[in-house]
Amino acid sequence: MNSKNTKSVLHQMWTAKAAVLMIFMLFLSVSTFAQTKKQISGTVYDNTGTVLPGASIIEVGTKNGTTTDFDGKFSLQVAVGGAIEVSFIGSTTQKIQITGNTSNLEVRLQNDGYTLAEVQVVSVGYGKVKKSDLTGAISTVGADDLVKGTIGSTEQVLQGKVAGLNIIRPSGDPAAGSTIRLRGGTSLTASNSPLIVVDGIAGVDINVVQPSDIKSIDVLKDASATAIYGSRGANGVIMITTKSGTKGVSVVYNGQTGVGYVNDNLDLLSANQWRGYVRQNQIADAVDYGANTNWQKAIEQTAISQSHTLSINSGKADSGFRTSLSYLNNEGVIKKSGLERLSGNVSAYQFLGDNKEVKFDMGLFANIDKWHPIDYRIFERAYNLNPTIPVYDANGNFSLVTGNIYDNPVEILTNRTFDNERHRLLGYFKTDVKFLNDFTATANISLEHNAVKGGTYKPSYAVMEGQTEGGFAQRTYAEYTNAQGELYVNYSKVIDKHNISALAGYSYLENIYEGFGAQRGGFVTDAFSYNNLGAGYNYRLSDVYSYKGKSNLVSFYARANYGYDGKYLLTATVRRDGSSRFGENNKWGTFPSASAAWRISNEEFMESSKGWLDNLKLRVGYGVTGNQDGIGEYKSLSILGVGNDSYYDPVTKTWSLAYSPKQNPNPDLKWESTEQVNIGFDFGLFNRITGSFEWYSKTTKDLLYTYEVPQPPYLVGTMLANVGEMSNKGVELTLNADIIRGDKFNWNANLTLGHNVQKIEKLSNPTYKTDVIYSGSLHGLAGMSGQYSQIIAEGYPVGTFWGFKNAGLDANGKIQYYNAAGQVVDESALVDADKTDLGNIQPDLTLGIGMNFTYGNFDLGFSGYGMFGQKALNATNMMLNDPNRLPAFNVPDSFLSSGITSAPKYSDYWIEDASFFRLQTLTFGYTLPLKYKKSKFRMYVMGENLFVITGYKGVDPEIGLNAQDGVDQTGLAAPGIDKYNNYPRPTTISVGLNFTLNN
Amino acid sequence: MKIKITAAILLSMLFTVSCTDLNEQLYDQVEDGNFGNTTKEIDALVGGAYSSLRGFSDAISNNFPTCEYVFFLNEVVSDEATIPTRGTNWYDGGQYQEAQKHTWKSDNRMILSAWRYNYTGIAKINAIIYQINKSSLSDKAKTPIFAELKALRAYYYYNLLDLFGNVPIVTNFEDTDLPTNSTRKQVYDFVEKELTDAIPYLNPNVVYSKFTRNVAYSVLARLYLNSEAFIGQPRWQDCINMCQKVTGYSLTPDFFDNFVTENQTSPEIIFAIPYDSKAGTVGNYMNSMSCHYNQKLAISAIPNNYPWSANGMCAQPGVYSAFADTDKRKKCMLEGDQINLATGSVIMMDNGEPLTYTENLTSLEDAKENEGVRLHKYEMKAGEQWERDHDFVLIRYAEILMMQAECYVRLGSPDLARPFVQQVASRAGEEVPATIDLAFIDQELLKEFTFEGRRRTDNIRFGTFFQPWWSKGTTEKYRAIFPIPSTVLTTNKNLKQNPGYPN
Repeated sequence: MNSKNTKSVLHQMWTAKAAVLMIFMLFLSVSTFAQTKKQISGTVYDNTGTVLPGASIIEVGTKNGTTTDFDGKFSLQVAVGGAIEVSFIGSTTQKIQITGNTSNLEVRLQNDGYTLAEVQVVSVGYGKVKKSDLTGAISTVGADDLVKGTIGSTEQVLQGKVAGLNIIRPSGDPAAGSTIRLRGGTSLTASNSPLIVVDGIAGVDINVVQPSDIKSIDVLKDASATAIYGSRGANGVIMITTKSGTKGVSVVYNGQTGVGYVNDNLDLLSANQWRGYVRQNQIADAVDYGANTNWQKAIEQTAISQSHTLSINSGKADSGFRTSLSYLNNEGVIKKSGLERLSGNVSAYQFLGDNKEVKFDMGLFANIDKWHPIDYRIFERAYNLNPTIPVYDANGNFSLVTGNIYDNPVEILTNRTFDNERHRLLGYFKTDVKFLNDFTATANISLEHNAVKGGTYKPSYAVMEGQTEGGFAQRTYAEYTNAQGELYVNYSKVIDKHNISALAGYSYLENIYEGFGAQRGGFVTDAFSYNNLGAGYNYRLSDVYSYKGKSNLVSFYARANYGYDGKYLLTATVRRDGSSRFGENNKWGTFPSASAAWRISNEEFMESSKGWLDNLKLRVGYGVTGNQDGIGEYKSLSILGVGNDSYYDPVTKTWSLAYSPKQNPNPDLKWESTEQVNIGFDFGLFNRITGSFEWYSKTTKDLLYTYEVPQPPYLVGTMLANVGEMSNKGVELTLNADIIRGDKFNWNANLTLGHNVQKIEKLSNPTYKTDVIYSGSLHGLAGMSGQYSQIIAEGYPVGTFWGFKNAGLDANGKIQYYNAAGQVVDESALVDADKTDLGNIQPDLTLGIGMNFTYGNFDLGFSGYGMFGQKALNATNMMLNDPNRLPAFNVPDSFLSSGITSAPKYSDYWIEDASFFRLQTLTFGYTLPLKYKKSKFRMYVMGENLFVITGYKGVDPEIGLNAQDGVDQTGLAAPGIDKYNNYPRPTTISVGLNFTLNN
Repeated sequence: MKIKITAAILLSMLFTVSCTDLNEQLYDQVEDGNFGNTTKEIDALVGGAYSSLRGFSDAISNNFPTCEYVFFLNEVVSDEATIPTRGTNWYDGGQYQEAQKHTWKSDNRMILSAWRYNYTGIAKINAIIYQINKSSLSDKAKTPIFAELKALRAYYYYNLLDLFGNVPIVTNFEDTDLPTNSTRKQVYDFVEKELTDAIPYLNPNVVYSKFTRNVAYSVLARLYLNSEAFIGQPRWQDCINMCQKVTGYSLTPDFFDNFVTENQTSPEIIFAIPYDSKAGTVGNYMNSMSCHYNQKLAISAIPNNYPWSANGMCAQPGVYSAFADTDKRKKCMLEGDQINLATGSVIMMDNGEPLTYTENLTSLEDAKENEGVRLHKYEMKAGEQWERDHDFVLIRYAEILMMQAECYVRLGSPDLARPFVQQVASRAGEEVPATIDLAFIDQELLKEFTFEGRRRTDNIRFGTFFQPWWSKGTTEKYRAIFPIPSTVLTTNKNLKQNPGYPN
């Protein structure tokens, strides 16, 4: 053992001891009673039979008390002959006499009319807290408020629902995921996705859970709330609680089927417009192939989607289970694309012990996705092809006209096979043990497994790679496993008006990823597809590969909460994370936080405002969180590996593999660290309106970036290092209102607004110097190899367009520009110094809005979201308005009237305001009154994406934050560029029914 | 009691579960401390020095000596090739135009690419030397290995001497201090010394693609040939002496045998970078960078039986006509109508016009799709993939002959040059004129070594580099070396820009 190891082990032991010590101190603080006492236990329900967590139980006339746990259960030692008072906010307090016979109580509290969100219970990580006791910025979305519709990626259910949380789908492809950014993101290279926690299991794939299994989602936004997740908390935490064994028995079926279509294509010349142009301009060489083809329509289809979910729930006092099975098949509006998913979920709980001291929970989530990735090169070709070319020639074969980026896109879609399949599995087993009245120890063991296998075949008759390879087959397999063990102890005690709780815990996470793949070309027959790789005779060294890697994360964490009289609330957390990914000099990081809240409305001096002000709470929090996603494994080490480093041995006349150093080692590598201050208000007005307002300021230090380092002396020209600094400041507003609450007619509305300002504060340090990082690559566009459209520079937000400012067209249709002196000049007179800030992709405002109306048995609802003030580069338009295109390549209708004669050149002429508002869903439903035990039968019609209000000229203003081929890359490096990558978002009309049978 | 048990269980779990080992376990790579102890491992390390000759591509730049952008740079700034802008295509921020006009700036990506290609090769060799030095090999066994590695490293430094002149010399992998410039003379001396020191330990035989004694002699001959251009001291006789040490090679009867797909059997090739796409080699796709998009129709009657071409680089006007029609080497260019093998008629371009390559171009800034004759030196054949299999020739015996011829002319003995140049010219089916002068040698070098990536050095040595040519005015002397790339200067403040260039 070397000295550094010793040091880190000692460190860990110290941390472990500290955790243990804390538990012991908590032990000591409990004084023991020695008189005629009796252990009682019970469960507290509200008037609908739902358990009430956090209700307080006080022995009358003493300081002895407790609160109910999250199953509504409590146990307490009380003097025989005494009494207890059970109280809960918004409910009438009940007094119960304790006799010698009292043992298991069932207390039902009557609602006194105040049932607003304050009584909700919120997951905060390793425990739950009443919303009224929260001190951090946490938004909660209940199952009823989640976005419904044709959903294949679970994050979509939150779109527009949480202020400050932007969810962007870069593509209308049903198999495409979404990008989540909380409060502007924190990283240039690492993932900016929040940590997903499902039923307490941190870091899982959000799609392991289906929307229909979700009970509620809590979004932890500020650092005081997320610091309990330490080096993974910087981008927020999405806590998903799934439905499991609620009281009673019910069987639920949900079914939906829909039709999707493309609402908006680019307006390109039709065949007849093209002919008109050719005739008018007397272009003798133009080739008219005789057909009338709309190439965009030719690759599209009407998409049929359907989904079915069946669930069974059974909950009793000491045991229960829930199971669900769902199937969905969403076709895409581009031929061949789509997503098919089968998923299942089982969860169960069981109490043991006289006083139900022990609770077991288990859950299993599993699903299989099948989809067919499409080749995104079709879009550029669909825009390029002459509209007189037929899709099929006279013999029924695909027509092929040779040219540059001129391949028949229907052929590309049809003649290749891409079959992908993903398996997701999450299982956990959790044990809660109550001891010494006030303690609960929890052990939670979980395993997540995620595997993708792929099969590709490009037959020998398929254009491009298929033909040049003589048939090309590929199989791939990749998987990862997250094994986690958590052990933590919660203490909670009510002494008089003091409400104390504390938590200490340890967790261990092991992530193993591995994969392999093989490919071959040169098939004598196309009969095997990708099923017989051995039949291919073209063999290359890189045709087989496999890989494996592993990382560990070891953590100790603690939290203390103190509340006085429900008015003054304090929370402090600390987490210490050790990660194998970190460099040798920075193996451990500490992430503290503190926050406080003041429920002003509970003060006596606020008595006079009781009539209209239901709740007013001020919250202040500060914390430090980290992001370790950008590091990856082994990045700090000096390693040798094989790559494409083969060498020729002239003696044996064979090729062998060389081993080469792979990277510049960086033993200082560590997490990105984000400090955040949050000030918030929660309020409730007139028993109708609730809301919260947040202000935050966060600074991310030690930004990871692959910096250019000087060669020599460095081995390779780039190095991953912690250097820069970025800030995000903003405000958020969330409002919920029961505008009308009547017997027959109800009207409810919710609104979220977010505003964020981002700035790069620093990019250099004494070792790594960078004035500016060029981003927003235009590579792949004709004549723009190696060109960039954006900069990352101090003083600007990420996604700042940097280039020449246009001054409109001159008389000859040439785009003119402003030089640095403000003079109008020709393109040829421009110099680099004339480049300037052309706006950025950061929205000034993000908005989410939803309303629900019910009238008797009818219901009507809509939800929509929008982003305003962001700029986008319409590179597609830039390239299509090229005067060199006609007659061989198609152009937009508008090109003919635009008079443009300049060849494409990047400038703000092509940058547009991409503000938009999208109507996500509009639903109209009718519920059939059923007499049998509150059973329900509801039918509905739903429209999705019925309209988008925007001035943007491209296919869709909602452009991926860093989209390439419809797949969002991590990091923030190249956002907001519309570059032939816009898979159109469908408009979908569906009908559905929900059938709930209660017993 | 129950409580104590619970507490004990909890405590013990805290410690037993705590696997707190944070050392990274490697599965598919190896830490540098655990490699280099067997002969096989040593071979694999040394092999890496050779594979680095193929260059690499990353997020910053493509650094392939055979294509984008090292080859591009050397060709476009010389008088034999150009990359015109065609409509929208090949503008790419003006980097090719400024290279053609000799107005390049230090942020030109091709220049960065040439810098990174060579210094990455050097850094890899330094790392390999460090790795082998740590191994259990005996000093005696290490000596020839180090000689071979250092000689190969000297080849990279020769390139840097030629391209950039005043470059830092870094030889120790562990030294990560930011280096300062050496003078061009110091780099020159370093290259000469490293090669001279290595020669006794290098393999004396003809070994294809390895850095043998013959390769070292050849590089030294090049160094002496350009000595006047590099450091102002002519060393023509030293060049001849070095050439005369090169043994074991002969001209192939057919000039193009040096450039066929399986060219490794040519007895003429002294040093080459081997390629085999099946062995995973990348970067060898120059044949896709020059021809028109539809050229594939002229290569195979089967659709798409030849990869895409990008319609980029072509010969500079005046090159094609410099060849006599009888010169067999003229076939290294494609000119005139290109025939569709499936139909037998001329290929049509997208715009409905025939694909006919012309020697002249409308302009550098706006050339038509079909203008410019195309590079056709290395074999192009049906069924090829994007990554080609022919080896890239760095030094061949014809150069040894031509170097001697040139030196004798420069030393005032053109008659002594005749036997050397005769061999080269007669293979091409050409006569050697009665008087052999430098102008003839210059033209013969152009025709013999067209598109072999070495013309820039000849242009500088003959001084033509500074004279106007197509789409280029007079060039100032300081442009005989390139500026140090701007991003290199930003990240290493110890470096000074080359004279003449703005800092």
